[in-house]
Amino acid sequence: MSVQFLGIITLCYFLLLFAVAFLADNLRQRGKSFVTNGTVYSLSLAVYCTSWTYYGSVGRAATSGLDFLTIYLGPTLICFTWWFLLRKIILITKEQNIVSIADFIASRYGKSTYLGGIVTIFAVLGIVPYIALQLKAISQTFNMLCGSDNNLTASFQLQFPNLPLDTAFLAALFLATFCILFGAMKLNSTERHEGLMAVVALESIIKLCAFLAVGAFVTYGMFEGFGDLFSRFITSFPEKSDLLLISAQHNSSGRWFTMTVLSMMAVMFLPRQFHAMVIENSDHEHIRRAMWAFPAYMFLLNLFVLPIAIAGILTYSGDTTLADYYVLSLPLLEHQKLLAIFVFIGGFSAAGGMVMLESVASATMILNNLIMPIILRFNLKTTDISGLLLNIKRAAIVSVIFLGYFYYRTLGETEALVNIGLISFMAATQFAPALLGGIYWERATQRGAAAGLLSGFVVWFYTLLVPTFVDAGWLSDQILQHGPFGLEWLRPTALFYLNSLDILSHALFWTLFFNIGLFLAISILTTPSSVEATQALRFVRVSTWRDIPQKRTRISKAPTIMEFVDLMTKFIGEKQANMAIASYLGDREIDEKGSLSEYEIPNLKRFTEKTLAGSVGAAAARIIIENYLSARGSKMEDVFNIFGTVSLSRDASREQLGVLYESANMIASGADLDTIFDNILELLYHQFRFDLCAIRLYDEDSNLLKVRNFKGIDTEFLSHADREINESTCIGSAYVNNRVILANDSDCTDKPASMEIIRREGIKSFAHAPITIEGQPIGVLSSYSRYAKGIYTEEFIELYKNLAAQIGIAWRNARQTSQLIEVSEQEKELKIAEAIQLSLLPDTMPSQPGVDIAGICVPAKQIGGDYFDFINKQPLLDVIIADVSGHNIGAALLMAEVRTFIQAQARQLSTPPDVLHVLNRFMYEDLTNAELFITMFYLQYDPVRGQIAYANAGHNPPLLLHHETGTFEELDAEGMILGITQEMVFEEKQTFFQPGDILVLYTDGIIEAESNAMQMYGIERLKAVIHENRELTAQEIIDNTMNDARMFQGRRHFNDDVTMIVLKINS
Amino acid sequence: MSKQSTTQQRQVWLIFFCLGIIMLNFPFMQIFNRLDTLFGLPLLVFYLLVGWPLSIVVIYLFSASLQDKGLPHRDSNPDRELE
Repeated sequence: MSVQFLGIITLCYFLLLFAVAFLADNLRQRGKSFVTNGTVYSLSLAVYCTSWTYYGSVGRAATSGLDFLTIYLGPTLICFTWWFLLRKIILITKEQNIVSIADFIASRYGKSTYLGGIVTIFAVLGIVPYIALQLKAISQTFNMLCGSDNNLTASFQLQFPNLPLDTAFLAALFLATFCILFGAMKLNSTERHEGLMAVVALESIIKLCAFLAVGAFVTYGMFEGFGDLFSRFITSFPEKSDLLLISAQHNSSGRWFTMTVLSMMAVMFLPRQFHAMVIENSDHEHIRRAMWAFPAYMFLLNLFVLPIAIAGILTYSGDTTLADYYVLSLPLLEHQKLLAIFVFIGGFSAAGGMVMLESVASATMILNNLIMPIILRFNLKTTDISGLLLNIKRAAIVSVIFLGYFYYRTLGETEALVNIGLISFMAATQFAPALLGGIYWERATQRGAAAGLLSGFVVWFYTLLVPTFVDAGWLSDQILQHGPFGLEWLRPTALFYLNSLDILSHALFWTLFFNIGLFLAISILTTPSSVEATQALRFVRVSTWRDIPQKRTRISKAPTIMEFVDLMTKFIGEKQANMAIASYLGDREIDEKGSLSEYEIPNLKRFTEKTLAGSVGAAAARIIIENYLSARGSKMEDVFNIFGTVSLSRDASREQLGVLYESANMIASGADLDTIFDNILELLYHQFRFDLCAIRLYDEDSNLLKVRNFKGIDTEFLSHADREINESTCIGSAYVNNRVILANDSDCTDKPASMEIIRREGIKSFAHAPITIEGQPIGVLSSYSRYAKGIYTEEFIELYKNLAAQIGIAWRNARQTSQLIEVSEQEKELKIAEAIQLSLLPDTMPSQPGVDIAGICVPAKQIGGDYFDFINKQPLLDVIIADVSGHNIGAALLMAEVRTFIQAQARQLSTPPDVLHVLNRFMYEDLTNAELFITMFYLQYDPVRGQIAYANAGHNPPLLLHHETGTFEELDAEGMILGITQEMVFEEKQTFFQPGDILVLYTDGIIEAESNAMQMYGIERLKAVIHENRELTAQEIIDNTMNDARMFQGRRHFNDDVTMIVLKINS
Repeated sequence: MSKQSTTQQRQVWLIFFCLGIIMLNFPFMQIFNRLDTLFGLPLLVFYLLVGWPLSIVVIYLFSASLQDKGLPHRDSNPDRELE
């Protein structure tokens, strides 16, 4: 077969791969991805089956029997755990924007740079020979196909005679180009490479089909099926029947177990596996398919391995020197060129897929964990280095592939390559303790992981690589036989005299012994830093950590949103940075200054770090952010947990309730206002360890906010200083705007006046909350701290506002109480006045023979202005009824004065007009001053003559019911109300009583009694009720009249004072 | 899916995983480690050719029984969820 022909075919295959990758990327951009599904995901995992297994499995089966199967049985077994283990790893990866296995481990252990570096170095060390192996396979099979069919050994020497190139170089070149185009188009490594994955999946299909084709051809074409092969083999090579068994020699059982374990770990932790399985996973639901589809794929791929191996042995009469290439040589031998080309393409696919993924994964690790820390050290001033980083990544891809190539060129023909697959597996196994321990054991620490990894790799190098070097002839055999420097116990294959195990089991035992041992021991002995502890939580409890109370942080001198964007631009480019920030801000609340709230900034910082981590890895992102913040003097500070030992969030509300409950208790205690205020301030002061708490209340007289109470430092500038009602100070501003003013960092105060005071007193943070009553401010509650910034969390401010509101309530309560006391004291005085007033009215009726007299006075309120009296001037009887306008104390006092005058003077004055005249003159001035007046009816009864004389000063005319006629006569006489002028003349009138006549004197209270229908009781109703009751006694007439009036108005109490006197002349 | 059934699932898985490790390792495999043939195949080869697909079938049945647990799948915007 000519080189050109095969070259063209290979090139065509390459073009096909390019087309598929291009199509996949294109479709993805249009949102029609065909890569994001479980099938493609499962196929991409089959990158596990490299050319080492594609060709090597048959070789291994032909030389050492069934143990090649362990390489696939291990992964099948580990698939049982995927739904829990792999899904957890994927969840963590998505949460943390992790981009490689080195990043995963570094990120778990506090985003440690050096841990990422260790993992990267060892991963690359383990990978480069593996890549060399793939290139070797491509090159050898290519040469085999082009060479003489009969002289297989000669074909290995075939080179391009005229060019300084060989097949491996060209393959490496093509693969590197491919990786750069589809694996390093963008810097963001969390963005999946769909083109690349589509190609890997396609290659998986091709290698499976090719292998099944050659298997079927060999088994059923060259021989007559499985049975035929096995029976011929057992008869022809009975000495090789061990190949069909697991021989009891050479610790085969131990080796079987070792290889199972190695392959379990390798399928999870080889960098390319981790990349395909975790980083390129688009939906963890795909695991469900991959769990069975991937083992099924491996089963199919291995179905014909043993038949091909046996066929090879039978065909080549037991010669197994070229057993590794039976897959290709058997069809060639049978002149099946097309099949051979198909097999070559399959092998090329197996090698190519591995090289591509491995180099992309390694390049990411190299850039993020080795180069980035160095770049960051130089602290480049350029605004956008994303382009540079991308080129570095590309360079890293090329370097890894060509390192593999040079490894192959230098050591390709030595024995050093033979076992490289398993040596790589062993290297990947070393990641297992740190990684698995990291996601299930919170206590695992950075130093523990580093010690485990380092010791594991040192022992790996010593027990596996050193013997390989001896085989290759670089080292003397002495070291294997007698140990280094003749130290027998240090022999690499029998460390500490452990010589009963095969080399792999020996290495596995000792590497894991040191790795796990140191990992556990040092993790237990060391304490994780806070970053580590946080990350541990986020890894171990990936689905629940958000429910765990977090320690809150704030950033002093926090950068603005734009500054964060600029920072991101530097590393990921402007377009990506803008897209990221837009998606972040989304519907987030932005305050009036166009920035995020103080507690939102740390979230933005975390977001920026995470976004950067997606491109440069967690460790580098952490350094970038830390450097940036420290360069601008910003510091991450823990938010001082003002709620004491109780952590924030859920428990804080309990604490809040406690404080509010206590203060409510104080308010309800009934203590005086100052005590309540002092107690609340005391509570605030002690509970939250402020340096000063103060209450200022608005004082109307001075128009100032005056300090009412304070607790804490006693200075004239804070605790004794009143504040004006304006916005020049924070307190004034809090009052005027009726909102909380707080400064978590007093350096950021924008009021010069406040700033000066704060500086002088060394206050670090303070808050003022308006004290309100029904929403209106009446004062300000202030608190100051000298020792902590950032203590005012949202929860605390909520509590603080509530406390201020409670202070308002206490103040209102106190004010209402004092008003009540005032009222009740007045009431007491009124009661006394009422008693005095009632005592001024006659308590018994005068006993006048022949006359039945009754009187009543019912004040509408406690004290009234009505008055009636009798003066006995034997034989005459004076009857007086009067009404002082008003029902207040003044009216009552005037009434008392009137009574005093009448009691004292009336006896000296003979006629009613005289009494009224003198009384008016006497009372005029007082009445004028009090703006009151009096109506009065004065009547003098002469029982001897049965005559009455009377005078009226504007009073309601009394009613006289004549017994004989049954008619009413209104007794009226000329005269004005008392107090109008000083000199007044009153008319005297006279009339005669007949036996049975009834005289009723009353004040307007009764006739003005009002019903619910707003009708007056009126004089006619009064007359009617008197007439109706005319046969009854005077007292009964009064009682019935009063009852009737009450019935009329529908109430017991009258609106005005009601006074009545009834005189009934006995018949 | 309740937390309890998840735990139960996990335990069932662990048992299968351990069972698999035992059955595909020594000394269990020693039972079949003989030169006898069955249907023309060496006994050990036959055991592996049957045992391996069987374990794949077990995984298949399990994964078919899995229900969606309401976790976020395709993280179209993982950042929003995180923060």
